Amino acid sequence: MALAGGLAAPWAIPARAQATPVIGYLGSETPHRYASRLGAFREGLAQTGYLEGRNVSIEFRWAEGHYGQLPALARDLAGRQVAVMVAPGGAEVALAAKAATTTIPIVFEMGGDPIALGVVDSLSRPGGNLTGVSSLSVEVSRKRLEFMREVRPGTKTFAVAINPSSPTSTSQLKNLQAAADSLGLTLVVLKASTEEEFDGMFAAVREQGAAGLVFSSDPYFAYRSQLLAELAVRHGVPAMTQSRDFPMAGGLMSYGGDFHQSHRQTGIYAGRILKGEKPSDLPVQRVTKVELFINMKAAKPLGISFPSSLLGSADRILE
Amino acid sequence: MSRRPTVAAPRTSLFRRYFLILFGAVVTPLLIAGGSEAWFGYRDQRARLNDLLDAEARLASVKIEDFVEGIRDQLSWTVQLPWSETPGDRRRVEALRLLRQVPAVESLSLVDGQGRERLFVSRIGLNRIDSREDHSAKPAVLGARSDRVWFGPVTFIADSEPFITVAIAGNRAVDGVAVAEVNLKFIWEVISAIRVGQTGEAFVLDRPGRLVAHPDISLVLRADQAAQRPLQDLRSAILARPGQAAAGQDIRGNTVMAAMAPIPGLDWSVIVKQPLAEAFGPIYAALWRTSILLVAGTLLAAGLAYWLAQRMVEPIQLLEEGVARIGAGQFDHRITIKTGDEFERLADRFNEMAGELSVSQERSERINRLKRFLAPAVAELIERTGDDRVLDGRRVEVVVVFCDLRGFTGFSSRAEPETIIGVLREYYDVLEKVISDHGATLINYSGDGVMALLNAPVACSDPALRAVNMATAMQEGVQKLLDGWRTLEEGLGFGIGLAMGPATVGRIGSEGHLHYSAIGNVVNLASRLCSSAEDSQILLDRIAADAVRSQVPLAELEPRALKGFDQPIAVFSAVAGPAGRPARWQRAGRRPSYF
Repeated sequence: MALAGGLAAPWAIPARAQATPVIGYLGSETPHRYASRLGAFREGLAQTGYLEGRNVSIEFRWAEGHYGQLPALARDLAGRQVAVMVAPGGAEVALAAKAATTTIPIVFEMGGDPIALGVVDSLSRPGGNLTGVSSLSVEVSRKRLEFMREVRPGTKTFAVAINPSSPTSTSQLKNLQAAADSLGLTLVVLKASTEEEFDGMFAAVREQGAAGLVFSSDPYFAYRSQLLAELAVRHGVPAMTQSRDFPMAGGLMSYGGDFHQSHRQTGIYAGRILKGEKPSDLPVQRVTKVELFINMKAAKPLGISFPSSLLGSADRILE
Repeated sequence: MSRRPTVAAPRTSLFRRYFLILFGAVVTPLLIAGGSEAWFGYRDQRARLNDLLDAEARLASVKIEDFVEGIRDQLSWTVQLPWSETPGDRRRVEALRLLRQVPAVESLSLVDGQGRERLFVSRIGLNRIDSREDHSAKPAVLGARSDRVWFGPVTFIADSEPFITVAIAGNRAVDGVAVAEVNLKFIWEVISAIRVGQTGEAFVLDRPGRLVAHPDISLVLRADQAAQRPLQDLRSAILARPGQAAAGQDIRGNTVMAAMAPIPGLDWSVIVKQPLAEAFGPIYAALWRTSILLVAGTLLAAGLAYWLAQRMVEPIQLLEEGVARIGAGQFDHRITIKTGDEFERLADRFNEMAGELSVSQERSERINRLKRFLAPAVAELIERTGDDRVLDGRRVEVVVVFCDLRGFTGFSSRAEPETIIGVLREYYDVLEKVISDHGATLINYSGDGVMALLNAPVACSDPALRAVNMATAMQEGVQKLLDGWRTLEEGLGFGIGLAMGPATVGRIGSEGHLHYSAIGNVVNLASRLCSSAEDSQILLDRIAADAVRSQVPLAELEPRALKGFDQPIAVFSAVAGPAGRPARWQRAGRRPSYF
């Protein structure tokens, strides 16, 4: 602490004068699954001059995949009177935090539309004690269908994976259905809200004669990219999710918001609130970057060759 | 210093005056120089600040323009070739590549020569290929067709994210028009990289004054018109005085200096601002420096003036004090000033004066003492020459004259003291006058007897004759008095004896009681002659008689045996002088012996 004044930016001094502020961090999964997100979050926090263990401490609460526990964990954090509550990883987390407190500032991070989900009333002036970051993952679900069709030209039937317990499932399904209609495709809707249902879902793709599986945007799916990639490889199903983790774990493709950016921005907002800014003054930020990842290695066993238009617009091609 | 209080205290002290004059002489030019330097320095710095901010604004505007130009250049690649009726995949690949290349472009719509949309690619929405929708009436298409490049107004998606539509037409109408939706959030990378000085920033306002770009992106995303009012006011302030950096408030209420540069095609304003404290930092630093120098200079001047005034006044005070002491009679006081200048000379003069005063006082005291026994003429002489060596002891030929009253002892025992004193006063008055008139030296009084000396201490010509004349005058004066006094006492008379011969003369006596006298046989002789003289008689010894024989008629009397002399002494009597009355002894019928 003695070095903090010399090394850290000037705002570290008032922070040191008070007790070290505590950030309440509400996670829907395990620290392991959140590792890359946490890294981005800490990066953003450091950008505003806060370093965990030096001038800020973080109190974590993990739901470990049991999203039903989120409200209780959020209330627990609220009861500890943390300086700011960070609720990243989807609408469920944000809504749980929102329900737990109306006074403690909350910074959320989600892929859906925070207005449609009833988290905030306005992006520019969120009002109340919430602000946060929204990526475009939910909105671009339909683009995944478009990409999948490009990869499997000549086929008309595709499967979409929906998590019925997700608050965005209905709107995404509607969105996907509209896209399928305009693209002239037929959709097979597969539902899964637990890991146990995943295997059956992949098996159903084949059974239903779908040319590929397009995952809707959902944190439950996103945090299980590893498992999904393994299943996709095992079942020989061309699949596409929102998260880059999926192609990196052996899946075919991904298209979705840059979670690194969104989590980093969450960290920046948490830092700014610690420095005294009011969440109502901080507009909800949309992360505009949407990234396309392609795994060439995964394409080979599936007998897929990527068209040049896809290769041209890919942000990263894994070979 | 008994005289001090009589000198009125000065109205103002010399020290104060000198101090003020010297201080003023140094400080006034210093203040004028410092003040003008501060003023001109301020003006120069102010002008430099204007130039600096102006240059920063233009630089920032160029950077923003480059950002827009970059997008425009990328777009222009998509309108290089004419459209054919059959859609080719090449354009789609190009358009997708553009999306990848230019992250700010969210969607791109390509319109052919007839104004039909042939391709639409988006990051978020579904792509459309060959929809052939009629876009010919859209402002973007119309604008691009007439001006080649068209920028739409800034729109805030979901009241938050600023977007602008950029449209560009190909060289030929058949090349069609490219219309792109550009997310202006991406200017953030450009605007946040701009630093004005240490903490200064740049921001961009569109024509209606909405914040388009700001290093704090959340200010843009809030799209809060009311909160952005200060920035619009700042722009108005700059526009009110073109070419001048304006002071104003930024969105957080900090006072800033700001300058502006326009972005021509877009009708946007790029404004750079710098916190006033930082912008004026060099000015304040210069002013501080000047004021510290001025204060230091003033202190130095005060110190210098104090020292100089002290140096000037100190000798004057020493002089004043010295003069006062000398004035009070302390002639041995010396004023010590070693300044090597006029003051030292003046002090030396005063010292000389004090020495001279001391000498002259000593002399006048001595002369006052001398006057008691010297004839005024002699006293004057000694006074004039300042040389009293004449009073030193020596052996000289003198004429000693003794005279006294006869029968005075009996009178004094009978008469009243007042009468005696009165008689003696008249008697001495007459004698002193006569002695003084004849240049003789009054040696002493004792009772009614008086001793006078001629030719000493001051030599005179013909001392014996003078002595005889003096004795005659004495007889005349005293006899007149005696005529009056005989009514009081019958037996009073006055006799004189004088003798001439060598005697030792000089100041005789103790330190406290010094008087001039003569010692020698001649003194005894004169005294004895006086004692043996009768009333009205003037007796001379042989030497005196020999000296005056040719001028004064003398009568040789019988030699007399005088006390203290072994042999009878030849005695002569002076007959009445030319102007004198007949001697009393003549009237008394005594017969003098004539030679």
